[in-house]
Amino acid sequence: MTKRLVIAGTVAALTFALIVHSHAQQPAQGRGAAPAAGASRDRDLLQGDAVNGPVPRMPDGHPDLTGPWKGGGSDADMEREGGLKPGELVGLMLPWAKELRAKREKAIYGEPYIYCLPMSVPRVNPYPWTFAMTYTSKGLQYIYILHETGDAGAHRVVYMDGRPHPADVFPTWWGHSIGRWDGDTLVIDTVGYNDKFWFDAVGTPHTEKLHTIERWTRTNYGTLVNEFTLDDPGAFTKPIQMKFTARLVRPGLELMEYICAENNQLGIAGGYLKNDQGIGSAPPTPK
Amino acid sequence: MRTKLGILLSGLGLVCLALPVAAHHGFDTEYDRDKPIVASGVVSKVEWTNPHMRVYIDVTDKAGKVTTYNMEMTSPNTIRRRGWTMNTLLPGEKVVFEGYLGRVVESRGALQKIAKAATPDQALFSQEGPDADAPGFPTAKPR
Repeated sequence: MTKRLVIAGTVAALTFALIVHSHAQQPAQGRGAAPAAGASRDRDLLQGDAVNGPVPRMPDGHPDLTGPWKGGGSDADMEREGGLKPGELVGLMLPWAKELRAKREKAIYGEPYIYCLPMSVPRVNPYPWTFAMTYTSKGLQYIYILHETGDAGAHRVVYMDGRPHPADVFPTWWGHSIGRWDGDTLVIDTVGYNDKFWFDAVGTPHTEKLHTIERWTRTNYGTLVNEFTLDDPGAFTKPIQMKFTARLVRPGLELMEYICAENNQLGIAGGYLKNDQGIGSAPPTPK
Repeated sequence: MRTKLGILLSGLGLVCLALPVAAHHGFDTEYDRDKPIVASGVVSKVEWTNPHMRVYIDVTDKAGKVTTYNMEMTSPNTIRRRGWTMNTLLPGEKVVFEGYLGRVVESRGALQKIAKAATPDQALFSQEGPDADAPGFPTAKPR
């Protein structure tokens, strides 16, 4: 009986292994890679000819940038994802920034994002996000940028009411963002960032002098391009131009609740944290 | 006979696991791609928690010793979008699974594939690494 069970189990496992192997042959989509429009293997995205349809518009004539979208920023490696040549971004770093990045590459347990802190600009993890275009009686006054996860529950606000940046801007995770339309392109200018977040998982650094300009253009129904200017004289020798592309999600896919800090056990399997009592968790609720 | 089958199984397991794993923060510091696991066991707990789901699987070795593996998946939202319900995988169910074990704590692993033992050709979950933007769950057939 035991022998029969062992053989049956082995056959089942072999079958499983073979099937797994056959599926492993399918090409994997690299994170941050921009698939051809309409040909994505990410089943969360809009597929087919609908991608190439016309840009929908709001009642005031501006492009509807709501989404939800996936992608459109850095995540694993800003240099590659932003369309730069290998070594180009590092080559533009001031010596201290280059040294810090090299240290961070070897110490990725130091990455704030993996402790559920905000990813900030221009980072976009592989979860959906939306431009929540907020109209009042005065028209489009705010755009809230909401991520399913990666913003630590904070709502990045882009002021669309014409106000300037404050003179005494206070450094924060998402900075102070003001937006305007340049034709059909939404231009977001942000200052007042803190220096705590990493641009990507390899630790590309910046300073509180960081100033970003995002130029978001919905080029067709399913595509949103982010022409991104990274301007940080504290960390880089000159402003750097990058380009990221976001894709519209499939119909019916909405942002869902995501409480990142609920049960973050990162660090235990790798031996970085010894506590095995549910890192990041509140004490169990009595029932 | 059992030994030969065991060696064959181990060999196949290693071959099928020798695939590139998506580079991602956390994976290589948490898990060891040189420590693959292919095993069968019984689910003892399914945690639908953020940031990532965890499936606890009791695996009994030849000597009868039970090890509970805490296998990390991706986010519950991603799993729900792939069609899972609260009843897709339940405690008490026999499963076959594969993954990579923790660099230090080897009873913790990154789950790569899992299927019910009775239907091993229907993977309920498949990904390249924790939180990877896994585009395909080609064989997922949630009930």
